[in-house]
Amino acid sequence: MFRKVKRKTDGRRNFDDRDTSFDTSVGAGGFHDDLAQYPHRLSFYKLPPMEEVTLEEFETWAIDRLKVLLEIESCSARSMTFKETEQVMEKMLAKYLPLNVPSKESSSLYQERKKDHYSHFILRLAFCRSEELRRRFVKAETTLFKLRYNMLSMTEQRNFVNSLDLPWVAATEEEKTKFESQLYACSYSSVRALLRAGSASGVKITDDQVRQYLKHQTFYKLPFEYVPDLLAMRTAFLHQGYVYVGQFQQSSLIISEYSKFLKEQLDLTVRGLPGLDEDDRLVPVLNNLSKGYISAEYNDGGNSSNGEDSEVNSENVNTFLSDMPLCMQRLMEGVSVNHHLKYGGRQQLAFFLKGIGLSADEALKFWRNQFTKSMSAERFNKDYKYNFRHNYGLEGGRINYKPWDCKTIMNKPNPTKSEYHGCPYRDLHRDELLVMLGKLGLEGNRSTDDVLDLSNRGEYQAACTKVFELVNRDNIDYALKTKSGNVDQSSIVHPNQYFDRSRYLKKLREGTVGKGAESQSGESQSIATQ
Amino acid sequence: MPSFEESDPAPISPSPAPELPSSQVHPATVSPTKHQKENDQDDDDFIPENKTKDDDGDQKMIFDDDNEEPELKSSTSEIEKPSIIQQSKPSSSKSSSSTTTTTSTKYKPSSADMKHYYERYLPFKSIFLWLNHSPAPQTDFTMREFAFEYKSGAYHRYNSFSNVSEFKSTVLKAEPTRFEIGAVYPIEPKLRKQVSKNVMKPQMKEFVLDIDLTDYDDIRTCCSGTSICEKCWKFINIAIEIIDVALKNDFGFKHLLWVFSGRRGCHCWISDYRARVMDENIRRSVIEYLDVLHVKGSKKSNGGVASLNMFRKPYHPHIERSLEVLKDQFIDVVIREQDPWRHEDRYEDLARAVPDYRLTNALMKYWKTTTDRSSADKWLDVDKYYQNLKIQSFDLQDWKKEMIFKTMYPRLDVEVSRQMIHLLKSPFCVHPGTGNVCIPFDPSKEKFNPLTAPNLQTLFNEDEEHVENTSLQPSIDLFNKYVRELMKEELSKKRTRDESKENLEF
Ligand code: SF4
Ligand SMILES: [Zn+2]
Repeated sequence: MFRKVKRKTDGRRNFDDRDTSFDTSVGAGGFHDDLAQYPHRLSFYKLPPMEEVTLEEFETWAIDRLKVLLEIESCSARSMTFKETEQVMEKMLAKYLPLNVPSKESSSLYQERKKDHYSHFILRLAFCRSEELRRRFVKAETTLFKLRYNMLSMTEQRNFVNSLDLPWVAATEEEKTKFESQLYACSYSSVRALLRAGSASGVKITDDQVRQYLKHQTFYKLPFEYVPDLLAMRTAFLHQGYVYVGQFQQSSLIISEYSKFLKEQLDLTVRGLPGLDEDDRLVPVLNNLSKGYISAEYNDGGNSSNGEDSEVNSENVNTFLSDMPLCMQRLMEGVSVNHHLKYGGRQQLAFFLKGIGLSADEALKFWRNQFTKSMSAERFNKDYKYNFRHNYGLEGGRINYKPWDCKTIMNKPNPTKSEYHGCPYRDLHRDELLVMLGKLGLEGNRSTDDVLDLSNRGEYQAACTKVFELVNRDNIDYALKTKSGNVDQSSIVHPNQYFDRSRYLKKLREGTVGKGAESQSGESQSIATQ
Repeated sequence: MPSFEESDPAPISPSPAPELPSSQVHPATVSPTKHQKENDQDDDDFIPENKTKDDDGDQKMIFDDDNEEPELKSSTSEIEKPSIIQQSKPSSSKSSSSTTTTTSTKYKPSSADMKHYYERYLPFKSIFLWLNHSPAPQTDFTMREFAFEYKSGAYHRYNSFSNVSEFKSTVLKAEPTRFEIGAVYPIEPKLRKQVSKNVMKPQMKEFVLDIDLTDYDDIRTCCSGTSICEKCWKFINIAIEIIDVALKNDFGFKHLLWVFSGRRGCHCWISDYRARVMDENIRRSVIEYLDVLHVKGSKKSNGGVASLNMFRKPYHPHIERSLEVLKDQFIDVVIREQDPWRHEDRYEDLARAVPDYRLTNALMKYWKTTTDRSSADKWLDVDKYYQNLKIQSFDLQDWKKEMIFKTMYPRLDVEVSRQMIHLLKSPFCVHPGTGNVCIPFDPSKEKFNPLTAPNLQTLFNEDEEHVENTSLQPSIDLFNKYVRELMKEELSKKRTRDESKENLEF
């Protein structure tokens, strides 16, 4: 094994100028040849990638996969059931890591699988560096694997399992008869649960049905070392060193096998890592990835700075308070109380307002109105005007700054006592946070406990998402019930995403969601839909 | 987006260093990396968990190395220098044992006795063959860790020997009160200072089990603590019966060695190749499979009683089979002989174990007023009140089975079995507190009786010079037979292992 790979690697070095021949092979041999590398939609990722990719592919593929994994983590942080996670992830996967059905006429199958394969290995490199990262990676990847395994057709599942090379031996009919009562005892509760799930609620499952079901089940014998969990929980029959696994237990088995395999591989990867540092172009990319440095590309639809058709202006911006996430509400409160904000807060709020459609002129009006209640107009013009115009790219470097996402916000220095920036779920004392939640109408029930709990555990965005769901519960229910639009349940990663999602739901409710609203709602374009 | 300016399409490959892929997942294939765990525990300072409560209850001094200060002091002021070579013996009157036990204070082996025993009696060669699996020394033995324990309480880890004569001569010189056997490492443990800590990860070890009567103190009434008698030893014999059949029938292990621990329990060593190469994760699952009650160890549940869903019906075949063994002996061993619920301080245990509030209260009230009802009476009282009160919240027969299980099912030490770095006293060592020899025995031949086990004193009375003439010899014969069978299988298995390895390489 080891030797074989080494030879391949050596070979590759000799063909370093091969990139062009690669192109011709696609054209001539067709994608079938290439697809032979990826015979199944799903993979244990046993072999590392051998072909070259551009630095750009390297990075974007990795980031796409990272987005998927982060979303999976966020689902589990919000303790979603597997079904719920499936719903949320379906869209994410289709967008960032599609693996389409083979029958679908598509020449991109190879490209999809290659992206999946490479991005997995890139993230292995990025995430093998600490125990904690490895643990997170294995957990998220295992869930991803499970999601995808369940998306496979029966035939695909069977073919995939056969390809795995596990030492399965089917139990003979004699063995099945001989151990009938043992197999029955060990499978009883899982089979019952299975049958119950498959029938109308309230229907009683009889022992006879369980027996009948087992009669048609294939059982496989597997050395007990392969199924430590089934063993430890005594949920399978063990005889002479072999565990008898029913077909119905196969998927959980394969999933745990994958998780075990991946963990071992990561441990091996760490040891192989020093050699990698030679290629210094990769190191910064990997470092960024492992820091979780990902800005969810927030697409502001390009309409915010010209803002003619925007509904937000300096006069009415306060009426949108309830659409803003807690961090922004807090900043808005800070300005209206003090008629001033320190630099960090000013930046955080100004970019956000820009993102919700406050034009440069309207923004200047807004800030002037507020600030001149505590200072002279001259002072404002002298000390602050430049700063606000700069934010819109109208001064200095003329860069079109983008609204900050939560990660950026949280990477800035923590707020001091008289500052309002940052993320309240992280920065506020729990009593202060409770007061703020109270103002949102969330009081003393179990939900606020959940929110506090999530913030305590450092799951700030999950806390924020939870609050969004609580505050907008009616509108979400309405949208779900009437099936009138896309209800995005992914985690909040960006304050403007929070805002746009809130606006979108309100408009659905009011029935004013139309063309204009759609394009206004940047997030429903970039994150929610598709 | 991450700050990455370069859009240079220069080809790069994400494939890392070439040693990354390894698709070997079969546990029977041992690669030097396979069993490395992220156990960042400082091995040198590691005190096996049960050390502090081991047979004597002494605290142990742990010496990292010859010239370092002890990290844990025992009650004696005298610190024995643990160097193997220049051994200055402390006078035996200054014994470090701070806990005096209620029994067997009659005889404690002296240094001279021990020396003589090591010289003439202890079957070093057999132990060597047992651990080495072959007549000529191989790494199974040479890279094996041995630990010495001294009279002072000092505990010296990471000894290793290149052959049987070095093994014997070192023990003779060092004169430990006993020695323990640990895992096989990738290098000789005595050379561990020459390699990085990451290398010193255990590769292989026999799978071991430890059963001790002190874990039965909530049900024993005949004795407590370190003392034992024939009545309570029955719990150990029951445990052996249940574990033995599970290891053989369920796991398919063949080479089981049961060893008396010298005072109040026993060990089981499983030497099958498949058992030796298990990693800690698998060891944990095996022991959890067996440890139905999990009375001890990490997963401690309240009151040390397993939750009821362990006994969800239909019972797992292992539970069902164990129940058959326990059922027959419950009345004799528990109800009659231990009579555990006769007195006020314990009958609450029985009443509270009933999963119905009304029934519990009724029983408590009755037993409070009507004193001196035996456990047998009380066991029947439960039936009576169950009927009278027309209890329907639980099934009485199921509950009785659970009670039988909870009082008698083997109580295992999970950590001893799980941890590969854990050491266990060698067979044929002498228990320093009793002088009993830790002899192997075959439970399928006859039930072991610890009260008639060979003791250093009696052995020397039998014959001072020739072990063949003493009652130790049958145990040595039994051990040798066991080792021969193990070696025979090992050699044939090894041949096929090597062959298949070669096949892979070509
Ligand atoms: S999670 Fe993000 S959007 Fe929510 S309050 Fe914190 S920073 Fe603002
Ligand atoms: Zn006793």
